[in-house]
Amino acid sequence: MRAVWLWAIGGVWLASAVAGLWVLLVYENKPGENAHTKAHWPTESRLARVADRPTLILLAHPQCTCTRASLAELGEVLGRAHTQPKTYVLFLKPSQFFDGWEQSDLWRTAASLPHVTVVRDDDGVEAERFGAVTSGQTMLYDAKGELLFSGGITGSRGHAGDNAGRTSLIALLDHGTSLRRSTSVFGCSLFSRAES
Amino acid sequence: MSSEHITPHASSAERRACQLFKEAQLDIHRRTDRLFAGLMAFQWLMGIVFALWVSPLAWEGTTSRTHIHVWAAIIVGGLISLFPALLGLLRAGVPSTRYVIAVAQMLMGALLIHLTGGRIETHFHVFGSLAFLAFYRDWRVLIPATVVVAADHMVRGVFWPQSVYGVVVASQWRWLEHAAWVLFEDVFLLVACRRSIAEMKHTAERTAALEREVRTRQEAEIDARSARARNDAILDVALDCVILIDEQGRIAQFNPAAERTFGYGADEAVGLDLVDAIFPVERRQPMREALSAYLSTGDTALLNQRLELTAVRKSGEVFPVEIAIAPISTDAAKMFAAYVRDITERKRIERELATYTTDLEAAHETQRQDAEQLTALVKELRVTQQRAEEATRAKSEFLASMSHELRTPLNAIILYSELLQEVAQDEGNTSSIGDLQRIQSAGKHLLELINGILDLSKIEAGKMMLSVETFTVEAMMHELVDTVRPLVEKNRNTLTVRGASSIPPMVGDVTKTRQILLNLLSNASKFTKDGTITVDVRTCAFNGVEGIEFAVTDTGVGMTAEQARKVFDPFTQADVTTTRKYGGTGLGLAIVARFCDLMRGTIEVESRPGQGSRFIVRLPRVITDAASTSEAA
Repeated sequence: MRAVWLWAIGGVWLASAVAGLWVLLVYENKPGENAHTKAHWPTESRLARVADRPTLILLAHPQCTCTRASLAELGEVLGRAHTQPKTYVLFLKPSQFFDGWEQSDLWRTAASLPHVTVVRDDDGVEAERFGAVTSGQTMLYDAKGELLFSGGITGSRGHAGDNAGRTSLIALLDHGTSLRRSTSVFGCSLFSRAES
Repeated sequence: MSSEHITPHASSAERRACQLFKEAQLDIHRRTDRLFAGLMAFQWLMGIVFALWVSPLAWEGTTSRTHIHVWAAIIVGGLISLFPALLGLLRAGVPSTRYVIAVAQMLMGALLIHLTGGRIETHFHVFGSLAFLAFYRDWRVLIPATVVVAADHMVRGVFWPQSVYGVVVASQWRWLEHAAWVLFEDVFLLVACRRSIAEMKHTAERTAALEREVRTRQEAEIDARSARARNDAILDVALDCVILIDEQGRIAQFNPAAERTFGYGADEAVGLDLVDAIFPVERRQPMREALSAYLSTGDTALLNQRLELTAVRKSGEVFPVEIAIAPISTDAAKMFAAYVRDITERKRIERELATYTTDLEAAHETQRQDAEQLTALVKELRVTQQRAEEATRAKSEFLASMSHELRTPLNAIILYSELLQEVAQDEGNTSSIGDLQRIQSAGKHLLELINGILDLSKIEAGKMMLSVETFTVEAMMHELVDTVRPLVEKNRNTLTVRGASSIPPMVGDVTKTRQILLNLLSNASKFTKDGTITVDVRTCAFNGVEGIEFAVTDTGVGMTAEQARKVFDPFTQADVTTTRKYGGTGLGLAIVARFCDLMRGTIEVESRPGQGSRFIVRLPRVITDAASTSEAA
């Protein structure tokens, strides 16, 4: 009788543990809200687009840990692609937070990437201009300002590694074409629901 | 031998080895369970710390909340860790515990992969965990761990390959490749486990053998100690000296009796040369030669036999001993045991015995000579006795015949003197009456004397016979009182008889009984004046028979003790003046005493000078014919 109880408890324990892991798995594979991007470079943006090469923009929440993987993947893209785009990483800086709040380890990581310009996006003005709502949202514009790619460059929340966004970006930079031009974005929301 | 499976015919060593192996195995399982319990708790805490450090918050614009990784680390990590940790603490050593721990460890690896953002390096946790599980030295525990890893990879490979393979698209069979790598490690761990188990078995067997060896040695040591203690006890209580000597003749052991005998302490004696220590100078060389002869040639001329020698004490005193030296074969070397007995006392006793024997023999000779002389004397005595008896008989016969011959003329004298008195009175010749009375009185006295002598003679000659008949004591006493009354009244005495009426009839010689009492009353009347004479009669028991006691008490002159002692001898009165003063023959009490003897009675006298006398006569109430016949014979 005691053995039956032990087996029952063991079964419940195993099922609970597996269920917990499954919930975690589901959460990490749940994408954020897609961006409302426009097909052309927003004219109201203060960012300077270059005319001789593509421009890559990644919008990030400075405190989102999931974005750490996106920055890592950005480094992969920039490292692997033969064409070096003009790259901006914009970090959200809500006005209610103190100055420097945005200069997290992500800021320092982004700043350490070659050919990357880190920009503070006060109150997410630029993010709104580009229609981004999820941290890790990446957009690639060609030299003429046409949108080539919009989406995330990680396979899931916070998980670096091979993913469709990275592959597509490299293909677009190197060959100008890709099977996919948009992917899901995994990361924190750049804006709260009320702001949305 | 298989330490895990023991046949019923396995030896005790094999069973012990199996037991030790199982104990060691259980100990390892328990320790490893507890180790994993700690590791589980540690991993849980580290997961929480890691989550708090790496991804504490999830943001939504300007608002933040606790990151799901933190909750996962707390809840899922706790869920995975606590149950096996509890089992590891509460059910350490039970197989199911380590299987649960194996599964939990792999699930913890899956959780850590999530918490680290799918870092491929976290996969090392799987391999590390497998190695850690090998601590159990139970290859079976690797099976559930491997199954969990394989299942995890298979499921993730289907739904989320990037999290385990690092690529977006992977073959559905790629989990097999990962599982194969895990199995690859499992093979090494399996080999390591089996080797470790083999070493544990070997260690258990060696430990069992060592224990057995130690136990055997301990038992042997205990046996040896017991035997030594027993031997020491025997030597300690031995009354004889027991001295062990080594090959060089040095004392190796010296028991308490030897200490007492020779005056050396054991510590002092051990190491001394035996011959120098206990033998006088003149005996040393022969003893030394005897021991040397045995050691060199095996000659045992002086060994194995009891010898009486002289020995010397520490004080220099020489004394006789009985000694026996016997060789002892030991594993170490040749030794000798000397058994020595101090025979000083025995020698002294022997000397005294010899003296006594000589004296006894001389005494015996003297005694023999005395006996011979005694025999000769006895012979002479017998002859003398025979002659005396013959003389006595002749005397008695002479007296009897003489008495008879004397009484006849004496009766005639008495009778004629009486007749002459009557004639003289009738004729008025009063002057001759006094002389005639004296003749008659002298004749009567002479007749009385002759009768007494005759009675005494008869008794001594053994011719006095008892005439046994039944009579009443009261009647006899009446008659006796009548007879003795003139004598009593002559000296103005009073006579009282008490107790005669209650006496049962007596079977005996009434004549001699009356004679006894008559003699006693006559004496009492004669030696008492103006006094009282009492006869107390009562039944009594004496010499084991029923008797009648006659006590004649007077208030007369009495006697001294010396006089009383001789009063029953014939021809004896209290003193020489008595005869002159009171008259009598001196035969009355002698006859009384002999009549009492003849009737197996007794007579006693109690008297004090001037206060009277008391004669107590006890006679059997019934005199049997046998008694009278025997006495008469």
